[in-house]
Amino acid sequence: MSQFNVLMGKELRESWRSFKILWIPLVFILLGVSDPILNYYLMDILKAVGEMPEGFQMVMPELSPADILAASTGQFQSIGLIVLIATFVGTISRERQNGTATLLYVRPISHMALFLSKWLVACLVAVISVIAGYAASLYYTVLLYGPVQWDQFIGMLATYLLWICLIMAVTVAMSAAFKTVIAATLTIIMVIGGTIFESLIGSFLSISPWKLPSSALSLLSDYYDRTNFILNLSLSTGLLIFFIVLGIFMCQRNASTTEI
Amino acid sequence: MGELQAVPWALIAPLLLIQLILMVVALIDLSRIHATNGPKWLWAIIIIIGNLLGSIVYFIIGRKQS
Amino acid sequence: MTLISVSDLTKTFGNQTVVDHISFSIESNTSTALIGPNGAGKTTTLSMLTGLLSQTSGSIKMDGVKDMRSVIGFLPQYPKFFSWLSALEYTEMAAKLSGVEAKQARLQSQKILEYVGLGSALHKKTETFSGGMKQRLGIAQALVHKPKLLLLDEPVSALDPVGRREIMNLLKEIQNETTILYSTHILNDAEEMTDQLLFLRGGKLVEKGSLNEVRARFEEPRIKIKFSSQEQALQFASQAELHCNVEGETVFVEIDHDQPTMQQLLNRLANSNFSIESIEKVTANLEEIFMKVVGSHESV
Repeated sequence: MSQFNVLMGKELRESWRSFKILWIPLVFILLGVSDPILNYYLMDILKAVGEMPEGFQMVMPELSPADILAASTGQFQSIGLIVLIATFVGTISRERQNGTATLLYVRPISHMALFLSKWLVACLVAVISVIAGYAASLYYTVLLYGPVQWDQFIGMLATYLLWICLIMAVTVAMSAAFKTVIAATLTIIMVIGGTIFESLIGSFLSISPWKLPSSALSLLSDYYDRTNFILNLSLSTGLLIFFIVLGIFMCQRNASTTEI
Repeated sequence: MGELQAVPWALIAPLLLIQLILMVVALIDLSRIHATNGPKWLWAIIIIIGNLLGSIVYFIIGRKQS
Repeated sequence: MTLISVSDLTKTFGNQTVVDHISFSIESNTSTALIGPNGAGKTTTLSMLTGLLSQTSGSIKMDGVKDMRSVIGFLPQYPKFFSWLSALEYTEMAAKLSGVEAKQARLQSQKILEYVGLGSALHKKTETFSGGMKQRLGIAQALVHKPKLLLLDEPVSALDPVGRREIMNLLKEIQNETTILYSTHILNDAEEMTDQLLFLRGGKLVEKGSLNEVRARFEEPRIKIKFSSQEQALQFASQAELHCNVEGETVFVEIDHDQPTMQQLLNRLANSNFSIESIEKVTANLEEIFMKVVGSHESV
């Protein structure tokens, strides 16, 4: 346990001194506020930017608070995920490649403590970022579009946080299993590729690993289909455990590939 | 001038402020870090001109990690 | 007392055998030099001893120790530290990871950093360190948990002459308190600090023993005769009917261990008109022994 604390302390120090724990939440806040503001002022902005042709009339759909939170989620799902994956995909592999891991691995460390410290700190940064991003989005959404039910919002947030912890488990596990470049490629294909795949043909599937974000959003409105919510939640939890176990195993197996 | 006044500054200001903070954080990190991938002055320009994206790109690939 | 015994240690990568059935043991409080040219398998051997690599076959045994990693200190040839930690933070973390209790870890870290000469750089980030300072920090982190066996991979090869001298002196001091196994391809270093020599070549252990033992085994005593002129030297060499090497005015005569040859040589010189400046017996240095050890297995 004390060893886990030492490794955890090291990771926390690293994310503080490299400003990770500061700049990533700031990026998520920016992503979170951009949609409520841009959508609200879209007409004004269009008018200010260019002359509209005579008689041009744009029909703006009436947006609900849930639609705006969904749009912010879309931002987190693209730029947000790429930032998080790019930041943490080297967390184990880079230490092996640049040789800093060598002096850790020659000590009697547990690879479980090592992996968990890496994953938990990645989760901490990701969770703070997502909460900050949604809080910012929510603030402007309530201000400009109307109230959101608290219990629904919390349910949505909690579900999305499970998703983000799953993504971090995949990212860190890939980092444990491969070199940084390969790990990054595989994680992007699995997560971003999967998300695109889901958006294209997801409506034909009742459960899939990439359904969790839409499951989360379904909690915000009574119009969405919620039938497979529990099933998707269980699938993601199972995958989360799978990737943690895989990551620990890969940490152990690849310890000898560290640069001496 | 009327158009400028029409801009809802009270709403936009926090957005600009956060961008500014992010930029400052990136610049502080750049000034303290020992080495970057590529020349430091280039990263300073990227951070200042590149706004949100400039700072993100600096943090992800500009920092030399070891 | 034997600290560690290694028997038939072998490592193969694919169909390439990098370390080939090597066996040796190390006594407590001695220092052992692992000598060999680049690619001889020194680093691979050390990696197996640290537990970073697992051996293909053979065994590494330390009496009464379950997890050897807890009693070993390791310094790689190019130690890499986390650039965002200070020397003290790094050493403290290293001590704690090896199971030293928190308060003690702080104390031992400060003490060892002072000892290796980094007392004034305790709170400096490691990214600002020079090569010599990094090597000192490397030694500090390898010693901080008071290991029974210190493994050093080419501890001075990457340093400039001043840094090398400083680190060698430091190691000689440490030598009195702990057991050291270090690899090197620089023979002067080995000659300076060693109780046991292990010659590694092509993954095989080709020679082992103390410096004197090895020296005696490979000694081919030579007589160095300096004549007053080169003509004399050449003239002597052509008449001598012995194995001679001429270098300017100097002739090196290879002689056997049996005394008659030596006697004959002296007699011949005494009865001749050669004008001789000096005669001396030359003993081989480690470099020459090394070339012989390596050379004698060239055909293998």
